[in-house]
Amino acid sequence: MRGARAGDCDSTATRGAGRVIGTAVAENQPGSGSQNRMNEADTILGELAARSRGLMRPTLDGRPGRGIGEEAFGALALDLFAAQFAHNPAYRRLCQYRGVAPAKVTSWRGIPAVPTSAFKECELTCLSPERRERVFYSSGTTGQRPSRHFHDAQSLALYEASVWPWFAEHLLPESGGPLPALVALTPPPALAPHSSLVHMLATVGRMAGEVAFLGGIDPEGAWELSGERVLAAVTGKAAAGPVLILGTAFNFVHWLDYLAAGGVRLRLPAGSRVMETGGYKGRSRVVPKAELHAAITDRLGVAPECIVCEYGMSELGSQAYDGVAGRGGPGGGRLGFPPWARAVVVSPETGAEVAEGETGLIRVFDLANVWSVMAVQTEDLGGRRGAGFELLGRATPAEPRGCSLQSI
Amino acid sequence: MNLPNYFLADLPPEATFSPAMMEEACRALKRNREQYLAGRSTASLVRLLADVADNWLQSDYPFRQLALAEGPAATGFGAATLAAGLDGFFREITADKLNALIVQDLGHAQRLDSPAATPAEMKAQRAALATGPELIFHIAGGRLPNPALLSLILGLLSRSAQVLKCPTGGSFLPRLFAHSLYETDHKLGACLEIAEWRGGAGALEAVLFQTADCVTATGGDELLVDLRGRIPAGTRFLGYGHRVSFGYVTADAAAGNGARRVAAAAAADVVAWDQLGCLSPHVIYVETGAGHGGELLAELLAVELERRETVEPRGVPPPESAATIASRRGLYEVRAAHSPDTRHWASANSTAWTVVYEADPRFQVSCLHRFIYVKPVRDLAEALQSADAVRGRVSTVGLAAAEEQASALAAQLGRWGVTRVCPLGRMQQPPLAWRHDGRPALADLVTWTDWEQ
Repeated sequence: MRGARAGDCDSTATRGAGRVIGTAVAENQPGSGSQNRMNEADTILGELAARSRGLMRPTLDGRPGRGIGEEAFGALALDLFAAQFAHNPAYRRLCQYRGVAPAKVTSWRGIPAVPTSAFKECELTCLSPERRERVFYSSGTTGQRPSRHFHDAQSLALYEASVWPWFAEHLLPESGGPLPALVALTPPPALAPHSSLVHMLATVGRMAGEVAFLGGIDPEGAWELSGERVLAAVTGKAAAGPVLILGTAFNFVHWLDYLAAGGVRLRLPAGSRVMETGGYKGRSRVVPKAELHAAITDRLGVAPECIVCEYGMSELGSQAYDGVAGRGGPGGGRLGFPPWARAVVVSPETGAEVAEGETGLIRVFDLANVWSVMAVQTEDLGGRRGAGFELLGRATPAEPRGCSLQSI
Repeated sequence: MNLPNYFLADLPPEATFSPAMMEEACRALKRNREQYLAGRSTASLVRLLADVADNWLQSDYPFRQLALAEGPAATGFGAATLAAGLDGFFREITADKLNALIVQDLGHAQRLDSPAATPAEMKAQRAALATGPELIFHIAGGRLPNPALLSLILGLLSRSAQVLKCPTGGSFLPRLFAHSLYETDHKLGACLEIAEWRGGAGALEAVLFQTADCVTATGGDELLVDLRGRIPAGTRFLGYGHRVSFGYVTADAAAGNGARRVAAAAAADVVAWDQLGCLSPHVIYVETGAGHGGELLAELLAVELERRETVEPRGVPPPESAATIASRRGLYEVRAAHSPDTRHWASANSTAWTVVYEADPRFQVSCLHRFIYVKPVRDLAEALQSADAVRGRVSTVGLAAAEEQASALAAQLGRWGVTRVCPLGRMQQPPLAWRHDGRPALADLVTWTDWEQ
């Protein structure tokens, strides 16, 4: 009955039976708010999305979004905050609880960030239920409720507009000439419709010509891959030229384990590359990053400078990368978001930005998040490194794991 | 710290130990025990331990001064927290209490000296002698020094040579204590070894498993299972798994003027050792009734934690722990913004303390470092039902209840599986003779010789 009661915060899921709370009526529910207000939201958010998209267009030198200055970023961020405060009821309630309103915020750094756990608790969206055509779930560990990020055609279009240029800048940096063949170790979109990563890879595939999805889903719903099938596909593609292999860290562990078991060592053609995105979530043994990359170089013949790490999450519309394929990264594992998204590292003690080199929690202000929330507080630990950050690990998930004593 | 290199833990961190070194160390410990410890009387050991403990309570005792000066950096606890924790521990180590422990656990004060008989045994013309292990290998875990210090004391009472392995970065206080024993009595100190190495050093541990006749270990279930598989069948193994604790406040105790007192007691339990021990509460259950729903107590607890922070500031947690606290606070803030069933109070500009009130009574494991849940329940039965997931793993319940109710509640808790019930406010100060996880700690070390006359 949740749809009918219109609670915007899913407070029943974690609580004991019979303790139903959160009955406030959300303004974005059909019949509860005025049609005018919904139209107004459409107009305002549509305009903001257009402005955001404008920032993603390549500048004259062909680089994405290079022209965004502090002022342009701040102006759009503050306008987005005002609109999301007005049209995202769950977000507004949190801001009000903190005593923050748009009139009180003068800098984008002061915009209230929503913890990623709020995407599990609440329907953090400006979209009315009938507009929510797609939802991306986070790939949380077993037993945890996932984050939910709702999309419609417009917000997906903006998501895709954000994904492609920054991906291309880092994984397909060659101007002109043939592109490598794209191979994804994840399941295809039809089997993983709620994965933002898979949608991102499909988007990239569309823009680059094609991507072959080689992963599958096991009867329990977990991602799996047939090492043999991947080997055959990659070998086939590699016969024609370089390949770009895309996958999660645990995808690579699974496949590399298969290759190691068979004593197989590939020597992929020069120009081949790998995009690896972190996270294990209990789906394979955890392999330290340096070890995983060494194994990729050893088993696939992909040079270290051709292995690029991606940092993304279902709650965000933009992704960060730690280097450019073939040229390596700035060193120190430094990740950088596109100019239309900015990461700051904040002290868990004070919430203030930490000094250069210090460690804290990563907070992202993402102008590609127009219909949800632009300011997102992650649970990831990072070190501040110049304009970027280094991912240092994840804090224990905020949502307590009930009575597990593992965490103490 | 300017201490002589006497124990392995005194060596610089880059020092490595070989199995051969460990074998030699064990041989020396056993030799020293035979020469200096095995023949000592209980009375002399009790006197010595009580004297050392009394020294630790004196503000000008150099080892205490060292502990408080360098402890904050070495252990992560603030000086005031360390002082309070050490005082609480050493106040228990008196001659009377040591003797009482021996009588409680072994039935007679001289059991460890020669065959002795209780009146009942005498009647049956029986006597018995208790003998401790020749060499005990202790594997300490966790952040608190007390369990390791107590292990050393019990080991000395049972005339055992001892090797104490501390968790990485955790040897500071056990080491100081061992030095204080050594300084008081070199020969006794020669029967102890304190070391620190990373877990999994299989070859080193294998030597100890083969050489020791008793192994004690504190840690997670996984560690205990692993250890059990590596220890020879004939070696006694005493494993202490992770435990959790909670507070229980009756409606009467929480009502009226008593509420403030109860909040202060609960705060004392949260503040002690920064809540990092198995005896520290994760949740305070409050019986609803008499016109309040537990929120008042949560609020008073927040006020009290704020006050305690000014006099006994929490230590600096590692960044991962601070991040976890910040993230959890974020979650409860979201819930609080959307529902009156959740409320939270937190220190400003720091993660120093957090109180979360949740109407949902389900037991919740805290992220500790002074992060406490307050949950309302109808009665103890509901609290126990809500804590079912940790049944069998609850150490202590701190009770705030009228005297006439306390006995029935303690019985109910005991039948459910709680191994210690104490007044709220004293959860982290178990008496010397407490039965660790429901077991008599000294009695578990000894082997009996029954003599039928």
